Formats: sequence, C-alpha cells, structure tokens
Amino acid sequence: MMRKRMKLDTERITKSKLFWAIVAELLILLVCLIIRPDFFSISYQPSSGMLYGSLIDILNRSSEITIIAMGMMLVIATAGTDLSVGSLVAVSGALALRLMRWDLDLYPTPGDWSITPLYLVIAASLGACLLMGSFNGLLVSRWNMQPIIATLILMVAGRGIAQVITGGKQMTTMFSPFKFIAHGSFLYLPMPVIITAAVILVIYLSTRRTAFGLFIESVGVNRSASRVSGLNARRIIMTVYMISGFLAGISGLIYSSRIISNDSNNAGQGYEMDAILAVVIGGGNMAGGKFNIAGTVMGSLIIRTIITFVYYFGVAAEAIMVFKAMIIAVVIILQSEPIRRMLEKRSRMRRSIQGGALHE
Amino acid sequence: MTESVILSMQGMEISFPGVKALDRVDFTLRSGEVHALLGENGAGKSTLIKCLTGVHRMDAGRIMFDGSEISPSSPQEAMKMGISTVYQEINLCPNLTVAENIFIGRQPMKRSQIDWKEMNRRASELMERFNIHIDVTRPLDIFSTAVQQIVSIARAVDIQAKVLILDEPTSSLDENEVDRLFRVMEGLKKEGLGIIFITHFLDQVFRIADRITVLRNGQLVGTFEAGGITKLDLVTRMIGKDMDAIYNLKRPDVAKDAGKMLEADRIGITGGTVGDISLHVKEGELLGFAGLLGSGRTETAQMLFGVTRAGKGSIRKQGKTIRVRHPIDAIGQKIAFCPEDRKRDGIIGDLSVRENIMLVTQGRRGLFRPMSRQEQVQLAEKYVKLLGIMTPDIEKKVGELSGGNQQKVILARWMATDPDVLILDEPTRGIDVGAKAEIQRLMIELCGKGVSVLFISSELDEIIRCANRILIMRDGEKAAEVPGGSTTQHEILSIIAGEGVQGGVA
Amino acid sequence: MSKPARTRNTLLNRLMNPKFIMVYATIVVFLLIYTIGALLYGDKGFTTLRTFLNLFIDNAYVGISAVGMTMVIITGGIDLSVGAVASLTGMFIAYGNTILGIDPFICIAFSILIGVALGLAMGAMIQYLKVPAFIATLTGMFFARGVCALISRESIAINHAAFNELAKWRIKIPDVKPLAYVNFNVLLFIVMILIGAYMLQATRFGRNVYAIGGNEQSASLMGLPVNRTKVLVYGFNGLCSVLAGVAYALYVKSGWNLSLQGAELDVISSAVIGGTLLTGGVGYMFGTLFGVLLKSVIPALITFNGTLLSWWAKIGTGVLLLLFIGIQRIVVSASARKKL
Repeated sequence: MMRKRMKLDTERITKSKLFWAIVAELLILLVCLIIRPDFFSISYQPSSGMLYGSLIDILNRSSEITIIAMGMMLVIATAGTDLSVGSLVAVSGALALRLMRWDLDLYPTPGDWSITPLYLVIAASLGACLLMGSFNGLLVSRWNMQPIIATLILMVAGRGIAQVITGGKQMTTMFSPFKFIAHGSFLYLPMPVIITAAVILVIYLSTRRTAFGLFIESVGVNRSASRVSGLNARRIIMTVYMISGFLAGISGLIYSSRIISNDSNNAGQGYEMDAILAVVIGGGNMAGGKFNIAGTVMGSLIIRTIITFVYYFGVAAEAIMVFKAMIIAVVIILQSEPIRRMLEKRSRMRRSIQGGALHE
Repeated sequence: MTESVILSMQGMEISFPGVKALDRVDFTLRSGEVHALLGENGAGKSTLIKCLTGVHRMDAGRIMFDGSEISPSSPQEAMKMGISTVYQEINLCPNLTVAENIFIGRQPMKRSQIDWKEMNRRASELMERFNIHIDVTRPLDIFSTAVQQIVSIARAVDIQAKVLILDEPTSSLDENEVDRLFRVMEGLKKEGLGIIFITHFLDQVFRIADRITVLRNGQLVGTFEAGGITKLDLVTRMIGKDMDAIYNLKRPDVAKDAGKMLEADRIGITGGTVGDISLHVKEGELLGFAGLLGSGRTETAQMLFGVTRAGKGSIRKQGKTIRVRHPIDAIGQKIAFCPEDRKRDGIIGDLSVRENIMLVTQGRRGLFRPMSRQEQVQLAEKYVKLLGIMTPDIEKKVGELSGGNQQKVILARWMATDPDVLILDEPTRGIDVGAKAEIQRLMIELCGKGVSVLFISSELDEIIRCANRILIMRDGEKAAEVPGGSTTQHEILSIIAGEGVQGGVA
Repeated sequence: MSKPARTRNTLLNRLMNPKFIMVYATIVVFLLIYTIGALLYGDKGFTTLRTFLNLFIDNAYVGISAVGMTMVIITGGIDLSVGAVASLTGMFIAYGNTILGIDPFICIAFSILIGVALGLAMGAMIQYLKVPAFIATLTGMFFARGVCALISRESIAINHAAFNELAKWRIKIPDVKPLAYVNFNVLLFIVMILIGAYMLQATRFGRNVYAIGGNEQSASLMGLPVNRTKVLVYGFNGLCSVLAGVAYALYVKSGWNLSLQGAELDVISSAVIGGTLLTGGVGYMFGTLFGVLLKSVIPALITFNGTLLSWWAKIGTGVLLLLFIGIQRIVVSASARKKL
C-alpha cells in the first residue's frame, strides 16, 4: 500500500480483476451517457438539502448491497459463504418495526412516534443480527460445517423468525428519526451513502490498518497452516460471520427505513446472491484468499448501475434480470482462470512478435 | 524370466526454470523384472516417471514401449497403452467400495446394467490372489493405507498393464504389509510384468529388485545387477562425491554445562496411538528423531507444539512447566515448528513470500500492532538473502516456488521469531540435494547460536550426520535413544524393526 | 487388519451397510414425526391414506427437481437455477398456449430443449471455465427469471382441454375412505426417482458421478470421463427442472414469472435432509424420496394444528436441517475414526 512503485506496472494492472471491474462499470456508464447525455447531471434541491441525479441514485440505492457485500467479502476471504444475510435483513427490519409499533391492536395508526427509543431499536436489531451471525460462525468454526449449508439454516429459518417477530403482519411507521436513516441527508448526500461510506471506511481501517486482513486471507488460503503459524483460526472465522450478520442488520435498517415498513417476505430477497456476485466481480475468490475492498464496492455499483440503466432508459423493467445475467456472465467468464490464461498467452505472444520485429 | 525389453527410454532430458531436472538419462525395463530406481530426493526419479506417464513433456529423448515409439500426453493415455502407476498418495475414491475402485469405468455389464455380483466376485478373486481377505463391498476409506495401496495395484494390474510403476509404495507400510506387497510383486513378476520400483529403503531393494538404476542430480549414475553391487557401494553412488559438504558437516558442540531447554515427561494423546514419550533437549543441541512414518515421531512433535493436545504428561521449558494447548501457546514459549506436510500445514500458497515470512512475527505482535510495510519488506528481504531463497520478487506467491524454496520460506518464518526451540519435521523431504545441504547447515548454525533443534527425518544417514543424540520411535513409543555419530544406520534400522538385526546386505 | 472374507452376502448384510445410515436416519425421523402427527391429530384424519398421498401430490414438483439436484450434489456441485427454470417452463406453457395458441405439449418439448441446453451451458461454464458452480448457476437463475419476466409479468391461466385432462387425471385407490388417489405428478415423481436410482446404481455414468464426488482428481487419474460426466449431470438436472415446472404447471394450472421463488432452497434442503452430503460423493435417490416427504410432513402437521402459523414451517425446516447436518457430522467423524 505504502510502498511507492514509480514504474507503472501495466501488466499487473491489466491482470487485476479490479481493473476489469472498473472498465466494465465505465463502459456501462458510457453507454448511458451516449444514450442520454443528461445522465450525469446532478442538481441540488434546497428543500431537502440533497443532491439529486442518476449517479447519486446509484450510490444511494446500492447501499444495502454494498454494506452486505463488505461482510460477505470477509466471509468469502475465509473460504466461506453467508447465505443468511438476506433473511437477516428481514429480521432486522421486522424487529425494528415491532419495537417501534409494538402492538398493532394497541397502537393502530402509524404516526411520528415510537414506543421504543431509536437507539434501543437500532441496538436491538443489530444485536439480534450479530447474535445470528455468531450462530453461523459457531456452526462453521466450531462444528466445521460447510459454510453454504450452515448458513442455509438461517436463510430458511430467518424469514420464519422475522414473521414470528411481527406476527406475520406488515407494519408502517412515520417515526421521523427512523425515516431519517434512509431519507435524511448529510453533507448534501443521502444518509445511506454516508452510512455506506462509514462502513467501508471502518472495514478498511480494521482490516488493512491492522493485521486482521492478512489473518483473514491466511486462514482462507490455508486454515491448517494458519493454525500452525499461531493464528486463532476459529476466532477469526467466528468474527467474520459476526461482522457479516451485523452488517446485514445495518442493511436491514436502511431497507426498512426506505420503505418505512417491514416486509418479511421480500426484504433482502436475493441480497445474498447480489452480495456474493459483487465480491466475485470485485476479484474475490470463492475458494478463499485475497479480498479487495475497492473491487467489491465496484462490483456492487456495477449491479446497481445495470438496474438503474434499465429503469432509466425505459428498457422493459422485466429485462433487468436478463441484462444482469448477461453482463455478469461476461464479467465472470472474462475473469475465469482458463480465459485469463489464454488472453495472457496471446498478449505475451504478440509482445514477443513485436519485440522481434523491432530488432530486425 | 524373459529377457525381452518392454520399455526403453533414451537420452531423456528436461529442464525446469533454473534446474536441469534430467540430463541425458537412459533407462530400460525388461518384462518380468523388478527394476529399482534409486536416488536421493531431487535426483530425478519422479521427474523421469512423470515424463514416462505424460505428466511432463520432455525436452529431448525417446520412449520405446512394446516395440514402438510413444509419447503419452496424460497419465490416462499412458494407462491405456499399458503403463500403470501407483503413487505414494492413494489416488482412489474413498467413498466407493473396494470392488468399484478396482473396476470403475470398466465394470462388467449384464443386459446393459452393471453386474454388481460379477464385479464383486472378480474383485474378491483379485484380492484373494494378492492374499488379501476383505469384504470388497465395503467402502475403501475404512481400510488401512496398506490395503488401499494394494487395491490401487490391483486396479493398475487388472487393466492389462505391461509396465507397473510403484512410486514409493512402502513408505507408509509396516513390515508385514511390506512382505505382503512383495509377495504380490513376485506374483506379478512371474506373470511377465515389468515393474519399476521407487523406494528409499535399500534393504527392500536388495530383497526384491533384479536390477537397480541410480540417478543423481538428474544424471544417470549407472544401472547395476542387484547381485553385483554392495549396499555401501550403492549408497556411495547415490550420494556422490559432490556431497562432501554434507560429510564435512560438523555436529553441533553442546556445552558441557548446557541446561535442558525443553523436557517432555511421559506425554501422550488420550485414547490415541502415541503414549508415554519422555525426552529432553539441551541448549544448542540437535536431537534427531528416527522411526518409520506412523511410528509417532510426528505426533510427538505436534504435541510439543500444541497442534494436537497432549492429554497426558507434562512439558517443561527451561525447568518451568508450561501448558501447550494450541500452537499460540508454544509460539509464546519461543518454540517453532516446521510441519511435515508442507502443503497442508506449512505454506500459505496464495500469499506472497513477504506475507508468509512475516506471518508468525505479526501473529506474535497481535492484531493491533501491524508491521509497517517497510518493516515487512526489510524482514522478508533479510531472510530471502540470509537463506538464499530463490525468488524473483518478495511479492511472488509462495505456492509458485520450488519445494526447497518453500521450505526455506517456512524456516524463515520461524527464524524471524528468534526461537529457543526449533522443531523440524522432515524439512528435507522432496527438495533437491543442494537445498537439503543448506538446510542441514542452517540447523547446525542455529544450534551454534544456542537454539535447540529437534530434527525428524526418514533419511537415517542425514540424522546420523547431524544429530548429537538420536531418539528412535517405534509403534507410538520411544524405542531407544542412541548417541549420534557413533551409531550406524544398520543399528538404528534394527531398532526400528524391533527384532534384533534385520537381514541387510552390506 | 485383514478380516476373513464375508462370503455370505445376504440381503440383511447388504442393508446393514454403514453407508445407508443417513438414509435410515431420515426414515426414522420421518416415522417419528409422522407418529407424533398421528398421536396428536389422528382424530382429524392425519393418519388417512389421503393425507399421506397428499404429501406426494403437494410436493411432487419439489421431488422431481430433487432427483436432478441429488445427482448434482453428489458430484460436489450445486444448482441454484432449478426454481427459475421450472418457473420458466410454466411461463412457456402458459404463454405459448393461452396467448400464442401453441399446443402445450409442443411448449413442453421446447422447454425441455431450453432447460437441457441451459443446464449443459452452466455445466460447461463450471467444468471448462472453472467458474464456481454457485456463481454459474446463479447466473443461470438470473437469466431464467429474466426471460420469465420478459415473457410476461402477469399470471397466465392455462386452459387447454388435454392439459386439463392430464391435470385432472387420477388413479383412485379402491376401498379407502376418505377418497384417496394418486395423480400424474405423483407417478412422474416416482418414475423419476426410479430412473435416477437406476442411473446411479446400474450405469457406469452413475458410478462416475459418485467417483467424481469422492475425489475428482482421482477420478480423472483413473481415466474416467470427468468433464463429460459433470456437464451431462447439469444437463440432466436441467431436464428435471423442466419436468418439475411441468408438474407445477399441472398443479396450479397457470404460469407466473414470480412462481417458485426460493424453490431451489426447498429442493436443496430435501436432498440434504435425505442424506446427500453437500461435500459430494454420498447420496441416494431413496433418501431423497424420504427427504422430500420429511420436509413436507412439517407443513402438513402445522396445517393440521390449525393454530400455528405457517411460518413455523420455515423455522421447523431450519431446525430439521440443523439436526440432519449434526447427524451427518457425527456419522462422518465416527466412520473416519473407525479404520480397519
């Protein structure tokens, strides 16, 4: 990080997945710009004190996935997967709404009030998700369960738990401090963007400015050797699942604040998939090892840009999934080992041919 | 025995980055003979085999098999031609039954269905022929390594092989199992199969082999009739003159008043196979550990380091009782450990040389005191230079280095922690001769600085050369302790075998 | 170490094989829960044949898909696209017939073509491009869902005489009260289980599937056609997904782009509860059959209870999964310790 590399190492750059992720994102944005030149325009609305525009919207709407992807990235770096995050989003929202409204029969109309103070609402929701993350961590680190199956348990049961919390009801709130989480603004930017930036910063500081990141990667590449090298592999694995659960909780609060309601069936539906994709597009290896924060953020932005793109240009909204599938397929295939090796070989050949031509 | 040559390799050459792994090697195999291929690790034995089975592409040379020239491009292709290989690691499917493992891909069919009855019957018969009486309908993974080894041989042979390559098949077998394997080999020999037998155990070579080919540093030393060469002669040829450096190694001097650095008192694994091991090592002393694989050497080392927990007994360091429940505890006591399985427990393959070297040091400093990039680079570069690690760059992934350099990186990782006790489990296995000598020199140097070294090795001459004392393990127990230097390989072997002196040739 | 050969290979001996432990566990737990249901709600008709057969009727589509999934998981892979592909099949039939007026059976044939092609494509992506199965099939799922939505976002009813006939067709079980029957879906489910079991037990292809799951590298060194087998397994799973979609269309007589959301989880859980190890190499069709039944008996119990709310079924499934993975862990570690 700190080491100055004056020589621009083009080969290393083009080899990195982050580079290709950025290229992909820029390409999509370029297409947007060509089709509609005002795509990049950003306006200021004094009434809400916020900036508006498609780019801001992409940042804003990608928050939930980006935050979850940060946790997922660490989990994947330890050679794991956390499928439960989507359900945890639902649990977090359900618990928040339940605590604010408590009983629909006693307090039938939504309004700008809450039974429970906001800090308790937040603490309880995040606490619950942290707990569920620990459950995942326990199964994976202590019981040595396969991560996919261990987290599948809460993925299946989580939505049931969310419905039990709310008694299967959908509740709405007008409690303005809670609304502020997704609808407020700070420094001209929507709150979710601020929260996401804070999460990214904390993850960066705690992994790259301590040895935590190295330890995670080490455990992910070779758990046994890491243990012999004196790392507490179990505790590290436990911690990443707890972080993942906790971040899913934050994401759940943003989501439920956005819809000022809870939705146990649809909240966070498919988030685990989007988050995993974001990590993989950003250069994460499902088999564990190196993780890349910037790449993961980029991956999440790509996913959101595709969706915004589709909405914005009135391409049939139905096409989102197909678009997503195709773009992701292209990115994944380009990044796959055999294709990369092939491309590398060709570029090396071309270079040697050019070199030869120069000498003659 | 027929005298017809079934396989001949002429002028085999192959280079890997920086090494000429094979240099104009010739090799011939007759049908109905057992031909031993000998050489120290890194001499080129497995490279030669890999060229033959199509794993590597040779740079030059030709292979004649059964009268025509071949160049297989994969082990499967070689197998189809009639060249089967049985590797040291079992390459079978643990979840399938013994019978299936023998017949998968070519099961007997009846009315386009797998004829399980017939398959099991034939498998049973085949195993009977090898004098193995087991239920072939049980999954493979419930059987011992020896049985699994014989199952792989059965599979290899039943594919109508003309040449069978056995790559160190005996290293994890006990005496009885070796006998059983040899009976199988004798039988196959009578049927006219040509067998290439790679091993480290010279006694075994003289028991079973008809001819012996010796390789050294990728070059052919010669091919000899087994009856026409003595064991001593063979060893000399295997090690060669350029190994003078190793013979000139001076055993560490242990000061008369040197205190006991590490002591273990009757340690053992609860309910396990290893029990009641007592040992001590003095300051600056090099303690050798001999014994077969599975004799409890590795388990003992792992207990001392907390990889496996010692349920019984106590461990003392410099007189004080210590608790070692996890490697973290051992590292805290300035104990270091290079594990036997380099790939599994040693290197973190996808991380760089720098990260691999700094890992333990960082682990000791803890999470919140990260080393600066500059410190990391300094540390890594210091040890890369000190140990002569051949890498283009400290950012290179460790997994991409050669075995010897990987071993040095692991050594560097531990030397960086400035340990009092260094436990090395087979540090020289599978690395080339040069690197091997360097690692031995390093151990002795460390002893000179007051470090106590526990050195586990399967290669007896290596232990005899370096160790002050030698601890011999057998069947999970300490069998004997002998002084280094004055003990001969033969004496140690007879202790390992456990029944007086075994029939060696020498 | 060497035990005397057990020459008498009796049926009992064969059934006592430890590799069936997981299947037995599934059957035992199923019987246990069924007995509990019988004790609690026997008077409400829980024990009738009709209730039992309804388990099959209501879950046939999950079971059909689980046949392919079991095979995929035995190779050590996973397929997340099954729900989406089944949903797509429903869309093809509904849109093709109701809107375009194409014969539904031609639509089914077309679906099979697309489903198998998609399966093969994902298999190729996994095997040749080394894309993790999870990601490759996730992409497949997005693709199939997207095409679903492109076709229509409305729920489309299917109204075709022959199709309705097939949906209504049933074999009544004589002399039982209340009336009990099996329908086409149940037969299809049973036939697929039998075909799957036959493939796994009696063909070289099936044994290669196990070998790959046991140790892919070894399988390759033993000269087995690893690439071809794995790609074909995903193709076969595509076929199963389509047939599951057909069964579901017969069950609900409509197609909707959002139908069968999360069905892949039901399918995977059924296979896992039925004793298929996600690490690959172990699994039986018979176990999967009981996995499907066990997973479906819980919602049935909750329905019979009447006061418990339906989402307890989800929690119940989670607990079941936990239980079974726990059992698997114990069995695996116990067999690892016991070496001959």
